[in-house]
Amino acid sequence: MSVLATALYLGPAALLYLGAGVVLLADLIHGRRAVTGLLTLVTLALAAVWAVLQIGGGAQGPILGGAIVVDSFSLYFTFLLTAVTAAVVVGTSEWAAKVEDRGEFYSLLLVSVGSMVLLVQSNDLITLFVALETTSLAQFILAGITRNERSSEAGLKYLLSGAVAAAVLLYGFAFLFGMAGTTSLPGIAEFVRHAGDGLRLPLILAFVFVAAGVGFKMAIFPFHAWVPDVYQGAPTPVGSYLSVASKAAGFAVVLRLFYTGLGGAGTPITHDWAMLFGVFAAASMLFGNVGALVQTNVKRILGYSSIAQAGNIAVGIAAVAAQGTVGPSGVLFFLGTYAATNLGAFLAVNAVSERLGSDEITSYAGLFKRAPMTAVVLSLCLASLTGLPPTAGFIAKVYIFNSAIQTGEVWLVGLVAIAVVNTAISAFYYLRWVRTMILDDPEDATPIETPGGAQGVLLLASAAVLFFGLWPAPLILLAQQAAAALLPA
Amino acid sequence: MIPLQNFLVLSALLFGIGFYGVLARRSAILILISVEIMLAAVAINFIAFATYRDPKAFSGLVFALFVIAVAAAEVGLALGIVLRLFRERRTANVDEASSLKW
Amino acid sequence: MLTLFLLLPVTGAVLSLFLPEEKQHDAKWIALVFSGAAFAVSVVVFALFNASVPGYQFVNTFEWIAASDAGFRIRYTVGVDGLSAPLVLLLGLLSVVSVLVSWRIEVKAKQYFAWLLFMETAVAGVFLSLDLIQFFLFWELELLPMFMLISQWGSGRRLYSATKFLIYTLAGSAFMLVGFLVLGATAGTFDIAELTAKPVTQAVVPLTFVFWAIMLAFLVKLPTFPVHTWLPDAHTDAPTAVSVMLAGVLLKMGGYGIIRIALPLLPQQAHDSRLILASLAGFSVLWGAVITLRQTDLKRLVAYSSVSHMGYVLLGVSAMGSLGLSGAAMQMFTHGTITGLLFVVVGLIYDRTHTREISQMSGLMHRMPVVGTVFVIAGLASLGLPGMSGFVAEMTTFLGSLDAHPVATAAGIFGVVLSAGYILWTVQRVLHGPATDRWKELTDATSWWEVTAMASLVFVILAVGIYPALLTTAVQAGIAPIAQIMEGVS
Repeated sequence: MSVLATALYLGPAALLYLGAGVVLLADLIHGRRAVTGLLTLVTLALAAVWAVLQIGGGAQGPILGGAIVVDSFSLYFTFLLTAVTAAVVVGTSEWAAKVEDRGEFYSLLLVSVGSMVLLVQSNDLITLFVALETTSLAQFILAGITRNERSSEAGLKYLLSGAVAAAVLLYGFAFLFGMAGTTSLPGIAEFVRHAGDGLRLPLILAFVFVAAGVGFKMAIFPFHAWVPDVYQGAPTPVGSYLSVASKAAGFAVVLRLFYTGLGGAGTPITHDWAMLFGVFAAASMLFGNVGALVQTNVKRILGYSSIAQAGNIAVGIAAVAAQGTVGPSGVLFFLGTYAATNLGAFLAVNAVSERLGSDEITSYAGLFKRAPMTAVVLSLCLASLTGLPPTAGFIAKVYIFNSAIQTGEVWLVGLVAIAVVNTAISAFYYLRWVRTMILDDPEDATPIETPGGAQGVLLLASAAVLFFGLWPAPLILLAQQAAAALLPA
Repeated sequence: MIPLQNFLVLSALLFGIGFYGVLARRSAILILISVEIMLAAVAINFIAFATYRDPKAFSGLVFALFVIAVAAAEVGLALGIVLRLFRERRTANVDEASSLKW
Repeated sequence: MLTLFLLLPVTGAVLSLFLPEEKQHDAKWIALVFSGAAFAVSVVVFALFNASVPGYQFVNTFEWIAASDAGFRIRYTVGVDGLSAPLVLLLGLLSVVSVLVSWRIEVKAKQYFAWLLFMETAVAGVFLSLDLIQFFLFWELELLPMFMLISQWGSGRRLYSATKFLIYTLAGSAFMLVGFLVLGATAGTFDIAELTAKPVTQAVVPLTFVFWAIMLAFLVKLPTFPVHTWLPDAHTDAPTAVSVMLAGVLLKMGGYGIIRIALPLLPQQAHDSRLILASLAGFSVLWGAVITLRQTDLKRLVAYSSVSHMGYVLLGVSAMGSLGLSGAAMQMFTHGTITGLLFVVVGLIYDRTHTREISQMSGLMHRMPVVGTVFVIAGLASLGLPGMSGFVAEMTTFLGSLDAHPVATAAGIFGVVLSAGYILWTVQRVLHGPATDRWKELTDATSWWEVTAMASLVFVILAVGIYPALLTTAVQAGIAPIAQIMEGVS
């Protein structure tokens, strides 16, 4: 493989890192001018376009001795991550204008996205670990970026839990390496497929550590403790970025590790890890929903709701079919719709929270009268999070539950039963919030102006939520294609 | 030659001690030190496996190097945040850093 | 054609949302035009419906989600047969009626009519869908408008009632989705016609579980004892129009689902459960009637009588024969018109007296003869007087179920006696008796919207009562294939 081809494949990630440097320099030269935001946006857009061209152009395959693989799976996530980040940048430009360390904020954002892109392309334990840590380190700083106590505290808590999770993950990696004698994911898969029953127990031990380590990134129970605190303490733009991008990358890593790395279906341990994720899924949904029921702070509600949603997505990981990658395609589709939905919800909250003066749910009363568009978008996103038609969330849930039942396993039918009951529970707090916004009368009826950038992103997000609710076929096909790349052809 | 098991037991012990420290300690600094102990356990594991399982390839040793590098970065970052928090609040205890409820 | 019926109301809903704030009272005109147009479409569909042609008619279909390698191939398919055609007509009619009785809504009129129209689309989708996932989509779609309508424009403990409705329905429908997915995964299709032609006989989980998972949603909606408790609360606190829609068409979604999906898709399991269903039906009829007898709130009384009357639907279903199923299907239609009318009348009375306590009322016949007369007609129809539509339906039901479930049928017939009791008693207490001074100022219902709303329903009730073939031809054509399946199993 020529140097040029390698550069072509690595394009998006390299571009993002380069952009990070340029933004820092621009910040030094220009001081605090808007140019940093613009540069960030341009970088993200270029990377996204590059990914799209690669999807269309078919430039795919392993590079750098198999440490990195560019396939439809990694491209799907490359596009998703860059697009989401671009939306965050546009939607929160007004907030960013007030941040003292604006250049650092944008630069770290780009480093974090670039590393996530590398992360979803990793095909080797070492690359995967390094990319994971690089993006995490950037995120820890992002959580603590504003100069106040709460933000610093959120950053510290995020860092400490993240460091522990990394150590646990590495411990599992060490055992995988020790048994397989290689760090390449396909190599490990080869080993696992032919592992005898004697190695089952050590393998289980190894993947439990690995699952615990990545569970932190996915924010599933019981590795969720940081979520509500960080979402509440970190600035909302960072919270929205974490809840969408970081979570998507976490699920991408899990799929890579367990499908490409542990061989997917038909290995001696497939059933064991599928069960483990089933338990995680059920526990996350229960914990997240019950936790959200008693919250009155909207940011904490969103935090707990994202734990519950992670549980929904994990159903797709537990759904390991004998053939094909139906479960993972459900995860990918869900993540795609969830990105639009959750981003819409977070950015809407961000757009009005400062002027409402409080994050308590009661202060959202009558938002429909004060900021009609934002209220409608937020309601739509909440309906989508609940899984009500005609939004994308409905299709995503039905699709992922369907993939679980398609496997023909009895316990997965049980898991889906738990999941649907949880959907009913979640309706309670999501719709209570919707009702407060749409129907209650505001105490203070002064209109709230939503900044232009945020308005655009909100409209885009709600358009996506509705579009994929009414016409999901294209995205489903993309997700299926991408998921198919997880297993050797 | 020392059997592989000895290294694994040592690393498991270190990992356990580190994990206990994470759970039991309240000071951010001490939690960090505990995490470092866990990472050291991981590094021992990698080196032991690398030596015993594939003496010719270096991936295990490389991994250990990366672990050490990342650990250093993490500590540097954590100390920075702790210092800032300390300046604002005069404490390094995680417990007292509780404007957010756990 | 049917797609048009689906799209008309939701178009109206969107339009009325875009009305400028100061013109928001024009929303009712938009609602009337669009629900009226939808009604016209439903009349045309019913008139053109050919009972001698088997299968679904007016079918529109296209590939909606073609992800067949994931077992997720969903076609958008709408169509009517003899079972759904009358219900579509009923929906069209009651939507117009409910818009008319909401004529005086002032608060947030735009939103109110938008939600009302949105709900019509959702319910229409349930009656028209011929694909399980599409059916489920519309089933869930109806929740949000209902929740909003009750919780905002209701009275009393409206938020509590709305939430209770939401939780009962969601909990029920949650399991329905699991059941649908299991059926779909086993058969490889979600198409109702295909699943009916080739019922699933074996799945990963026992089919009895699947049957009850699906039934639960329908029984909650019907509603059946002991999952009926959401209904009286929802009815009592809902605004009049919503009560009309709730009793008139939303409850029918449950009965329709049982006959369209639960029975033909899982005939063996349905057959094995018929005794349980019959007992539930008997209990519902009796329990509902007994509770009705001791109600002091006029609206709550009608609400509980619904529980009792919807028990007949389940009774007819549990007989699982041609006659019983036809009776059930007819009972759904007639109950929709009769109880819809009762709620209209109760709403009109409440608008004027501002109380629903029966003990407060007396001699209203003197003050409002028109409303009183209509009340009497609706009441008589409700207790199954010959010559009215209720009689035809109930008789057919009892004839159908007598052989299969004599005890439950006896309970049903006793329920009729009880309903005669509470209805005549109520009529006597509310309408007759001395004309008190307290209600001296009451005016009769003479506005065009009130008269039209009442007259149209009275007309349908009498027409079906005098000439039942209007309804029975279609119903029997729709029931025949299902009855054939049910009579085939033993």
